Amino acid sequence: MRHLRFQYCMKLRFESPVREHVFALRCVPHTDSVQRMENVSRFVYPADSLTEVKDGFGNWKLTGCARGPHSEFAYEVKGEAFVDHAAVQPEELHGMYRYPTELTGYDVSIEEFLKRYPLPEADAYKKAQYLMHALYAYMSYVPGTTDIRTTAGEALRQKKGVCQDYAQILAALCRRSGIPARYVTGLMIGEGFSHAWTEIYDRDRWLGLDPTNDLLVDDLYLKLAHGRDYRDCIVDRGVFCGNARQEQSIYVNVEEI
Amino acid sequence: MYDVDLIDHMDSINQLLARYGVKFGIYKNNMFHEQLFPFDAIPRVITKAEFDVLEKGLIQRVDALNLFLKDIYGEKKIVKDKVVPEEFIFISKGYLPECERICPPKGIYSHISGIDLVQAKDHSWFILEDNLRIPSGASYPMIARELCRRAAPATFRKNSVVDNRNYAMMLRETMDYVNTGGISVILTPGRYNAAYFEHSYLAERTGSVLAVSSDLFVENNCLYYKDYREQKQRVGVVYRRISDEYLDPLTFLEESLIGVPGIMDAYRAGNVAIVNAPGNGVADDKGIYYFVPKMIRYYLNEEPILKNAPTYLPFYEEDRKYVLEHLDTLVIKDVAEAGGYGVVFGSNLTKEQLSEFKKRIETESRRFIAQEVIDFLDLDIMDEGVPVPRKADLRAFVLSGETTRVWASGLTRFSRNPDSFVVNSSQGGGFKDTWVLSR
Repeated sequence: MRHLRFQYCMKLRFESPVREHVFALRCVPHTDSVQRMENVSRFVYPADSLTEVKDGFGNWKLTGCARGPHSEFAYEVKGEAFVDHAAVQPEELHGMYRYPTELTGYDVSIEEFLKRYPLPEADAYKKAQYLMHALYAYMSYVPGTTDIRTTAGEALRQKKGVCQDYAQILAALCRRSGIPARYVTGLMIGEGFSHAWTEIYDRDRWLGLDPTNDLLVDDLYLKLAHGRDYRDCIVDRGVFCGNARQEQSIYVNVEEI
Repeated sequence: MYDVDLIDHMDSINQLLARYGVKFGIYKNNMFHEQLFPFDAIPRVITKAEFDVLEKGLIQRVDALNLFLKDIYGEKKIVKDKVVPEEFIFISKGYLPECERICPPKGIYSHISGIDLVQAKDHSWFILEDNLRIPSGASYPMIARELCRRAAPATFRKNSVVDNRNYAMMLRETMDYVNTGGISVILTPGRYNAAYFEHSYLAERTGSVLAVSSDLFVENNCLYYKDYREQKQRVGVVYRRISDEYLDPLTFLEESLIGVPGIMDAYRAGNVAIVNAPGNGVADDKGIYYFVPKMIRYYLNEEPILKNAPTYLPFYEEDRKYVLEHLDTLVIKDVAEAGGYGVVFGSNLTKEQLSEFKKRIETESRRFIAQEVIDFLDLDIMDEGVPVPRKADLRAFVLSGETTRVWASGLTRFSRNPDSFVVNSSQGGGFKDTWVLSR
């Protein structure tokens, strides 16, 4: 078990004031069987109203609105977490995690990759690790080569991408190999940005793999949300009236206490 | 043989329909065209005995479909019991995981169901498809009947036709039953929608407020309507005439300008009823259609009263074999398409096209269904003063509120092209009044 302190700040600057801004944020880690949250504080500005609701995937969403004109929108979440992956509890599998989505379709490049790296005889977790190692060796981490609409197949074909692409590709590879998988957004030890990884279902529980770093997810990771792909667990969604030109800055820090 | 009174007035009825703006809009090559929906004065007549059977069968079918939706977004027993294979659910475009574990007010998902039927030459009825998302078309027979009654009042004294002017009242009762405490709203994408005439007409007739997205907003998980004085009024039920993917830009398509951000949260919190429920597409998918008779047996423990058209699922090996061998006599439907698109008659295909299609069926077996071509019972329409037979179908409207009721009328659409089997209004064509007799 690890004791972590985390901080997640996001600042959005609009070129000219916007209004009627409605947002849904999945930026607050919640307590589950692996992570226990303590002293969590959250601050959203500006916000006329704030409510917390669950979505269809079981994630918590912070929703609210800022009706009046504003040229800056920011949130900050901080707190502590006790993370213990040894305590992971069995969960019933939802069938949707067995099938491809638009972003994780079984493209030719997915099929070819699987032909090139035939799976060893092993349990699902071992197979997924094998795929993760192969994928890590095959891909290069290059920011700016993909965007939020890039599919797993496209990123795999160009052999380049960021954590979001790695996580979607691994999910697609696993599902195509008969291993249920889901996409996770969260935070990882250190300074920087938010992160994304993959969870696979083996026997009766979900286990995390981080293909961007070729690591098994351990007690230095904090989960924000999960879903079938990137689109299901976008950390920050908002719609507003006004000029859409904006500049975003994110600061994430996770450290061990 | 036909009511001369009505036929004599056909032109003037059509002129009035045009004047009232009873139109149908379609998009072709990215251009929006408004078309008149031609009215034919020879009604479709359904006898009381016939309607009694239809009514029972439709209620049974819609009740089973509602139970199916409740099950799919809840416990998924029908999947666990392997009555419906899970791939038919989770790959379906209509399945929305965002709706998981939402129980809509009073547990009703499909409040307004448009069930399309055809009658075969032997007079037996077949279900063609279920429309559980936003089935349109009820307003056409409503207004046509009004005009017919005005044009030929004696016709309706002579013939014992069940009065169908109760649709708006039935709809209002259905909306009131699920209302969570607030005003009734009909949400329209605006006047560039194929069915805008209907949205405004139904709003007027049900005493609901006709709203566009900018009139509505969500605060603290409640939906509000902003009236002309900028006063906010709580909304208890919204009959939305925009499709799921555009409904909430915070949950579905972010670029949607016609939706209401946050409406899904208000809905999940139980603070507003959405008519029909989001996610219903999983039950009216053409692939799921095959399983509806099984649903009726599974949930209701009854034998289906109304038959499906004989359908094959290439997903099952045995069916695939049959389909590949008989492709030239079958009609193939792409499960992802609607509105008469993606329908291919094997008999119209060349040899190369047939073998091409066979390949597609083999590689994308989940994507298609195949059906026997039903020998339709043609209905006469007036063509330049002469009755000529044409293909026609019937959309029955079934409303689920406190009880499930079938509107004693419906939308009879016909194809004006003598060779066409496709009667969908998106593809041109006209409509008739549908008479249900009281004896």
